[in-house]
Amino acid sequence: MNEEANEKAIEETEHEEMKEVDPKEIVDFLKPRMGARFKTWLSICTHCGLCADTCHHYTASGKDPKMIPSYKVRFLTEMLRKKGKVDREYLKKVYDTVYYECNMCRRCTMYCPFGIDIALMISLMRALLFSQGMAPEGLLKAVENYKEFGNQMAVTKEDWIETIEWCEEETADELVGLKIPIDKKGAKIMYTVNAREPMFYPQDIMEVAKIFHVAGEDWTLPSEMGWDDTNLAMFCGDLKTSRMIVENTFKRAEELEVQQVAITE
Amino acid sequence: MDFYSFVEGPLLWIAILTFIIGSLLRATLFLSVSRKTDKIIYQHFSWKYIFATLGRWLLPLNKDVAKNPVFTPLAYIFHICLIIVPIWFSGHITLWEESRFEWSWSPIPDGLADWMTLIFLAIALFFLLRRIISSDIRLISTFSDYFILVITALPFMTGYFLTHGTLDSIGFLGDNMTIIHMLSGELMLILIPFTKLSHFILFFFSRGATAIEFGRRGYSM
Repeated sequence: MNEEANEKAIEETEHEEMKEVDPKEIVDFLKPRMGARFKTWLSICTHCGLCADTCHHYTASGKDPKMIPSYKVRFLTEMLRKKGKVDREYLKKVYDTVYYECNMCRRCTMYCPFGIDIALMISLMRALLFSQGMAPEGLLKAVENYKEFGNQMAVTKEDWIETIEWCEEETADELVGLKIPIDKKGAKIMYTVNAREPMFYPQDIMEVAKIFHVAGEDWTLPSEMGWDDTNLAMFCGDLKTSRMIVENTFKRAEELEVQQVAITE
Repeated sequence: MDFYSFVEGPLLWIAILTFIIGSLLRATLFLSVSRKTDKIIYQHFSWKYIFATLGRWLLPLNKDVAKNPVFTPLAYIFHICLIIVPIWFSGHITLWEESRFEWSWSPIPDGLADWMTLIFLAIALFFLLRRIISSDIRLISTFSDYFILVITALPFMTGYFLTHGTLDSIGFLGDNMTIIHMLSGELMLILIPFTKLSHFILFFFSRGATAIEFGRRGYSM
């Protein structure tokens, strides 16, 4: 069944790749999002090159000039100048740069005399590509999972609760009396995890439970959506889903009337 | 009115007013547009982070100094000469004294102005060669990067020729150096609000905005 879904996703991606780019869509997406800062940055960057060797992609590629941060945002200027008249091939080039030549670490900004935030502009381009159906498959899948299950790994509520209960049983052998409280109203701390933990690394949840137990903390895990604290939707510029993920966590915290939310890692 | 009187009269007014009003408009535009499009600046507004970052970057107290020990000092000296010489050169102050404003202030010694001009031109040449020779900088350079460098260097070059009579033996240039110098200065002033040279004022807003963004995460940049 999973394979079928995968094939469908691949077909869809291929279909998107063949689709012609509508210049109006590009402009309509970019124009309202080109705020005062973006416009200023693109218009004042003097290409001094001080950002070059602050970039690990630049240094790790044997100082490939194409990796210079200020060069990577040329696409934004170009797309606006061309009024969105670009083809799929062009967007593919943008894709390769904004996903594989920049991980938005913002180190270049710390050395830029004008404080130009390259990462924010890369993020805008990722969002543009997402609106055109272009994003790494893993991220697209994760976004679907967030929308349906509230977590990136498609863990159902039953599986989540079962995993916690199993973790509790296993750990209680070692530390007598250990409990992993679920949905405990009025607890001090609401703990959230990376969805990979219940999926692949339940021992991480056990370790944390031990620490909370020994430290005598008043804590709880929410059973409903909001327990996954990763936000992969942010990385492909899907701000709507990104917002939903954060809001889920806030909703749970308010329902459970906790004082703090702790996140893993 | 002959061309000379036009250049030293109305055109000078146009240049200075374009420079002042244009720059203020760019600043106003940033402030008014950002209120709608960049709310984060105002939600987390903090003079503390703004002053800290401007202090570090207006003075050479920032990360770039240690990372680029050659380029950064040169860039600072370049900008210092660019601001000091036109304002405090004795010849310019004399003109202000003779103008309707009769403004006056004490000049820097002419010898110093000479040296600052030469140093400025040498650094400008270095920047130009760096753009052409370094394959990195050449790739990222656009037309306007070369253009603003030439536009900025011209008034200094012609000013030096004018005060030293370097090209006086060359007919046309020798006879018209005053007007060429004035034109080059006016051209630069007029272009400031419309080109990257506007960074002289937008620098403050760009740095300030990013300092707030980083500051709200506890990093003073």
